[in-house]
Amino acid sequence: MDYRDRFELKEYRQEQRLSRRVVLFHVGVFLLVVGYLLRFWHLQVSQGEEYARLAENNRLRRVAIAPTRGVIFDRNGEVVASTRPSLNLVLQREGLKDADRQLRRLESVLEIPYASLRERLDQIRSRPSYEPLTLKEDVGLTELAQVEARRDWFPSVLVETASRRTYPDGKAVAHAVGYVGEVSEADLALQREGLFQGDIVGKSGIERAYDEVLRGRRGWNLVEVNSLGRQIGEPRTGTPPQNGGQLRLSVDVSLQRALIEALGEETGAGVFLDPWTGEILALASTPAYDPNVFASSVTAQIWQGIAQDPGHPLQDRALTSAYAPGSTFKVVMAIAGLETGAIGPGTSVYCSGSANYYGRNFLCWKKGGHGTVSVHEALVQSCNVFFYMVGKQTGIDAIHKYGDMMNLGRLTAVDLPGEGKGVLPSPEWKQRLRGEPWYAGETISLAIGQGLLAVTPIQMATMISAVATGKVPRPHLARERTQEATPLAVSPATLAIVRAALADVVEAGTGRRASLGPIPVAGKTGTAQVFKKSAGIDADELPKDERDHAWFVGYAPATKPEIAFAVIVEHGGHGGTSAAPIVRHVLETYFADRLPPPEEGGDKLRAGVLRPNGAGSAATPAAR
Amino acid sequence: MLRRRLLASLDLHIVVATLSLAAIGILAIASATLDQPGRSGLWLAQSTWFALALLAAVAVVSVDYHLWAEFSFLLHGAVVVLLGLVLLLGKEVGGNRSWLVIGPITFQPSELAKWSTCLVLATYLSERGRAGVGVRQLLEMGALAGIPMALIALQPDMGTALTFVPIYVAALVLGGLRFKVLVAGTILALLLAPLAWGHLKDYQRERILTVLNPDRDPSGIGYQVRQSKIAIGSGGLMGKGLFEGTQSRLNFLPAQHTDFVLSVVCEDLGFLGAAGVLGLFYYLLFRGIASARSAQDRLGMYICLLVVAWLSGQLAINVGMVLGLLPTIGVPLPLMSYGGTALLAAMAGIGLVVNVSARRFVN
Repeated sequence: MDYRDRFELKEYRQEQRLSRRVVLFHVGVFLLVVGYLLRFWHLQVSQGEEYARLAENNRLRRVAIAPTRGVIFDRNGEVVASTRPSLNLVLQREGLKDADRQLRRLESVLEIPYASLRERLDQIRSRPSYEPLTLKEDVGLTELAQVEARRDWFPSVLVETASRRTYPDGKAVAHAVGYVGEVSEADLALQREGLFQGDIVGKSGIERAYDEVLRGRRGWNLVEVNSLGRQIGEPRTGTPPQNGGQLRLSVDVSLQRALIEALGEETGAGVFLDPWTGEILALASTPAYDPNVFASSVTAQIWQGIAQDPGHPLQDRALTSAYAPGSTFKVVMAIAGLETGAIGPGTSVYCSGSANYYGRNFLCWKKGGHGTVSVHEALVQSCNVFFYMVGKQTGIDAIHKYGDMMNLGRLTAVDLPGEGKGVLPSPEWKQRLRGEPWYAGETISLAIGQGLLAVTPIQMATMISAVATGKVPRPHLARERTQEATPLAVSPATLAIVRAALADVVEAGTGRRASLGPIPVAGKTGTAQVFKKSAGIDADELPKDERDHAWFVGYAPATKPEIAFAVIVEHGGHGGTSAAPIVRHVLETYFADRLPPPEEGGDKLRAGVLRPNGAGSAATPAAR
Repeated sequence: MLRRRLLASLDLHIVVATLSLAAIGILAIASATLDQPGRSGLWLAQSTWFALALLAAVAVVSVDYHLWAEFSFLLHGAVVVLLGLVLLLGKEVGGNRSWLVIGPITFQPSELAKWSTCLVLATYLSERGRAGVGVRQLLEMGALAGIPMALIALQPDMGTALTFVPIYVAALVLGGLRFKVLVAGTILALLLAPLAWGHLKDYQRERILTVLNPDRDPSGIGYQVRQSKIAIGSGGLMGKGLFEGTQSRLNFLPAQHTDFVLSVVCEDLGFLGAAGVLGLFYYLLFRGIASARSAQDRLGMYICLLVVAWLSGQLAINVGMVLGLLPTIGVPLPLMSYGGTALLAAMAGIGLVVNVSARRFVN
């Protein structure tokens, strides 16, 4: 093989190698294209539907349409809560320029602090920019004019229509109706059906209890948007909102007004109900708050003001606060004594002002004693010594049985959230909870409604209803919720004795300040000891916050009960002096068309209710 | 006489495929941007460039490729000078100094560099005679491709710089570089990769990591890839119809008319559109390879294969990126992505291939 041949061979091999490489390259390109096509097939055909759904969600935004919350009426068809249109000033965050300048101008025009606006704007920075920042809710025409007049100052400030919950009677219905607000993270976490961020829900009272009825369901509009969230074209209708349902309450707003007026500046609570059906006619707790303030988002300042108020206005004392019933418990004691046969209608006791049991001296509130008293007189004059005896003779087990029968220490199952249970003590309960045995002396204290006993005003209203009708009703606020009352296993004879005594309490005893004249009222006063030292001291002479809590429970008319009640005034002193006049004011409103027109107007009553310091001297012992 | 013969031997397959792809590109650009404020004129601008590119391609075809090869070093040198000028005088857009402004025209010399690099490497290979590829050739060709690449990397336009790699590797392979050497070089490059990782910018690392895990950053780079996949996938088999794609029209898809133009086609025209575009590209490349095989000499063959390597490399990277298989590196789709210089350079490149195939008969 000569040189030339070798050269050609090399050339030939090179040529061949090159050709091989070109083929290889060609195959490579082919495989690449086929591979990519398979991938396209996978994305577009195999997973096409899934991606189509993603694309649809990308461009269609669901914009919520808030439902209109249902109207709440009282028993006479008067509006208790409704929704009205309102205007909000909002800051459009999309395309926002010189935010600081606009916010500072707002401070000067509307006096909204710049710092708080800036802070709120920063807080929602991570939210989508199409969501505006609410600057001020429910602006009036003056404020609107102030902004509109300087339109060029506020390129990003818009007026938005919204709706707002209103309560025409404000404070008067606060604790019965409750208030609404934006749904909390906690409620959302519980995933209550159909709840979304930003929804307005009931926060307390009826608004919360019947939220499902009242709220309705939000609807949606579908809006086509671009990647910046800017709306393109007209909104398409999605699902229309379902407005909330109406609710009719058993309450009578005129009685609510009378009750809140009568409670006035006092701290306390009152429950008025139909003793036969359990329909609540009025329910209030003071100090009250104005539910209109909460109508939508509350500023932190207002919230703190309410939450940190030493009077705890948000607390519904009618349901959640448990107090010692004091002498009002003597009603239960009398029934328990008579029913068990521990005492009879003629049983009498001599009251010398105190009695000794188990080596301890138990005082009667009247220093000189009541003399010889029967069960009737003992109830009318609220004699402690008689009931110490009843307690000893009846025994704790029977007392517990009858208290429990009349719904003390257990939930009344009223249709309001947050009801408290209170305590009706028993030896077994004490052993279980405190690990201590029951002492006999405790039964003696219990007999006059002190000691470990603690009851809520609504329980007391239920108890006294049972006395009035012979049946234990189920209290409720929503009209249609009527439940059958449970018959009370107490003989008519026993009830007759107790009812007669209760009528005399108002007629001639400690509750005379509740007297209505032609319409007989039955009731029982009570004084719940706050401090040990108050025993035996005239409560009205103590400083206000050391005075005992004052109770008045009862029903009217005494002969044919239509309305039963329980009122407590914290640190009110004696039930007869502070609680009874409150009841009378409400009853006067209730029986307005059956009573002769007042001769001197309501002034006399109001003086009694508001009771300026020193007025206590007017309360002679005989007046109790 | 000569003209008529040239015209008769033109590869019409390549011409039709090229014009179709450019036309589909313009349609896709229009679909994605027509109703967007400030962008509605883009399709018209691209059409104008298309006309210019057509003229350039005709000019490239008219002159015998041997003459182009004779001037290749001069041309390449001129382009390198332009790349230097870009760094000094260029216009900066989005952090990259890649554009030269001359009067009303804004153009990217880096795109021209791809064309001149193909030409100069083909000339180098054909003039190298019968010698194989030794260290010297490796380095000399490295300099020819590497200098413009480095200048582009300084802009910094890593995506465009990267497209020089397939051209360079193809030149080495064509030059007869032993597979052993090639494999060794690849291994060496892989070993050096961790070093390069340290030199990458944070956002570049982020892009690489996002390919491995697309949900890593759903609002940033991951967002782009995800939206691209949504655009492609939601097109389904038949597509939503031209001008109907919501992903691109509503601006969910970033860079929809440039690097992600294929996503627009896939959204509007579905899998059929994707298959059509890939089919046209395959056909174009296949005809390019065929032209190489029938070339009258080594120079013609090298030119064809290097241009094919350039286009297929860019195709592979862009489609991989659009499908979320490769990092989002900013490589446009040849012929279709918005960008005048890129269109012009690609058509001028294809013009070289047509040139070679039209002169396949030794006369």
